[in-house]
Amino acid sequence: MTRTLFALKLRLFRNGPHDERGFGLVAGLVLAALVVAGASGVARGVLHEGWIAAALTGWGGMWVLGPLAQPRHEPSVLSREWLRGYPVPSWRLARALSWTELLGVGPLITLACLLSLLVLAAPAGPAAVATAGAAALTQLYLLVWAGKTVAALAAWLLQTRAGMTLAAVQTAIMLALSFAGWVPVAAWLLPRLRDGDIALTALTPGQLPASLVDLLTLLPTGWGYRAAISARDGAGWGGVVMPLAVLLAVGVLLQLGWIALTAHALRRPPRRATPNRPAAPGRGLPGSGVAPQVRAVAARELATWLRDPARGVELRSAWLTPLLMAPIIAVAGWNWALPFVGPAVAVFGAMVAINTYALDGTALWQVLTTPGAVKADVHGRMLAWALLFGAPSVALAAVLWALTASPVGGVAVGGAVVAAAVGCTVAPLLAVMMPAVGADARDRVYPGQRAGDPTGGQMTIFPLVVLASVVPGVIGAVVAGRWWATGLSALLLATGILSTVPGLVVRLLHQRGTRLLGAMASRDAAALRPSAGTKADVPAR
Amino acid sequence: MFYGIVGPNGAGKTTTLTAVCGLREPTSGTIRIAGHDLRTARDAALTQLGIMMDGLSLPERLTATELLRYSAGLRGLDDGWQTRAGDLLEILGLDAVPRTLIVEYSTGMRKKMNLALAMLHRPRVLVLDEPFEAIDPVSARSIEQVLKQYVDAGGTVLLSSHIMDFVERNCRRVAVVAGGRVLVEGPVEEVAAGSTLNERFVALVGADPVRPLEWLA
Repeated sequence: MTRTLFALKLRLFRNGPHDERGFGLVAGLVLAALVVAGASGVARGVLHEGWIAAALTGWGGMWVLGPLAQPRHEPSVLSREWLRGYPVPSWRLARALSWTELLGVGPLITLACLLSLLVLAAPAGPAAVATAGAAALTQLYLLVWAGKTVAALAAWLLQTRAGMTLAAVQTAIMLALSFAGWVPVAAWLLPRLRDGDIALTALTPGQLPASLVDLLTLLPTGWGYRAAISARDGAGWGGVVMPLAVLLAVGVLLQLGWIALTAHALRRPPRRATPNRPAAPGRGLPGSGVAPQVRAVAARELATWLRDPARGVELRSAWLTPLLMAPIIAVAGWNWALPFVGPAVAVFGAMVAINTYALDGTALWQVLTTPGAVKADVHGRMLAWALLFGAPSVALAAVLWALTASPVGGVAVGGAVVAAAVGCTVAPLLAVMMPAVGADARDRVYPGQRAGDPTGGQMTIFPLVVLASVVPGVIGAVVAGRWWATGLSALLLATGILSTVPGLVVRLLHQRGTRLLGAMASRDAAALRPSAGTKADVPAR
Repeated sequence: MFYGIVGPNGAGKTTTLTAVCGLREPTSGTIRIAGHDLRTARDAALTQLGIMMDGLSLPERLTATELLRYSAGLRGLDDGWQTRAGDLLEILGLDAVPRTLIVEYSTGMRKKMNLALAMLHRPRVLVLDEPFEAIDPVSARSIEQVLKQYVDAGGTVLLSSHIMDFVERNCRRVAVVAGGRVLVEGPVEEVAAGSTLNERFVALVGADPVRPLEWLA
């Protein structure tokens, strides 16, 4: 059975898609080559070996943190759905599957990276190299099974009631570290930036502190390194065999854990998480001065943001990310920068609202067949976004300005105003122009199900919102730091955006609406191209 | 009146209905709904239509009441919609699950919800794609009863179906389509031409060859 599954996986690899896998392979091999080159630098005495321990810790950390950073990503090439009905004991099937998990880009590039252990041990002769080889293989074994087990656990947790919050917290932590992790380093390098002093702290190249390297070798990601260095330094069999034995033992336990989780998943029918139900029958959105059609759409949108599993994760992560960034900035001593958390809310809010049409899927038919509904739909989506992200981002910037008395608080508030205007209007525009089509709304019950990958749209709107939010500050600086120039330019810019882009979205949805619906019905974004079919095509079944 | 479109899978039934709903441009000809040309007076034509599409999503994270309120708001209906919504939910048996989201609905409940949505604004024409497909007899019966009341009150129902029995019992006219062409159209009795509609349908579109499977013996 293992051979059959191996052959199936190889065929799937051969048939593609190759883009993501090819990129991962090339990028991974380049990074691995850098680590191996660093190890050879250690042998020549130009680099301290502690840096290799740090690199291997980072690499190993990716195995564990990767599945947590992408909690909605299907971790396995061979889907459990295909195998659930086979008349084979689930334990036996899971055991056969487990060996196929070793086949992939991740294990290959990690093995390439771990060749650095052999390079480190090379000066001590063939016996040390052989030991380092064993260390590399056992370290790979442990890393693979640590990553796979974490992924299986995350997949199981996502199907629980708390899955939406869990996935959002995972994503928010990763994003906060990615977007604000540089702040402590920058604060250390530029300690007097608040006063406009850009003098850098002098850097002295050298080696990592010995205590830090010791700590890294105590982590599971450093056990292979520890065995290889012990073999090189002739530290005796205890220092060599013990880490290898522990690597192997923990690896076996993790593999058994993965097999148990997978067998459990194969035995059970697909789970359906209980969606968030309203506590009571909902009421319409109150409000005067807003057309009832727009109010109806805004109420639908607010309910959907809170109840849809994919949107729920995005909503929570968009709010948690800036709120996690704030303590990182505060701990680094850059309190003056805290008001910028306000525009950050608008930036992340825009990024998570980039795919709402595709997430709502074929429900678009109702909008397209109701007179006047297209305009109401666009405006209602914008109103809901403004209530969830736009207005709070401006308010948050203002409150943090008041609390920190930051000299750049006005710039942050002006930036938040423009960022909110851009996020509010451009997110639905891109949602119509470049939808990431995935499973239809009626088929998505929990966050782990594929809902389309909107990375392209997110990477488009992120610089747009950031650049737009910088404009009022730049204008204020150009006119010699006049606060009114920042405020006035922010208001004018926001007014201009709000009065032009919504009309464009409405026109675009009128023109492309039926093609967009066709793309979602066929789950193929290629149907959006005018050449893909006749003018308006919901595929006939 | 009831007007039925029948045909084998892939015949063009859904294609025709999506064109009638304005979700597809017809390759030739014109579509008029209650006297309004769909191309030149789209909004006026769509106002007269109630649509029930098969296999498409609804705003899935709303309850039945929320969805009807949303639909009423989207159409700008006056206060009378609340009474109609209450009646439809009751008669279709959807008021028993007030907190259940649409995404949790069974196929039958989903069909009934679609029908309530299609009728809420009192349209003159209902376009129903496979209203009886994959639903239990109880749901089918309640849908049929509602549709009969609608037709008795002067409404027109244009539907596609594989349920020949329903078409034969209720439709005044029927079109048999295959390969994107109308093979025959007219009053049901004339189309049936002395046999049952099902027999006539098979004779018109042809049946797959049947031979004994020896390996089953």
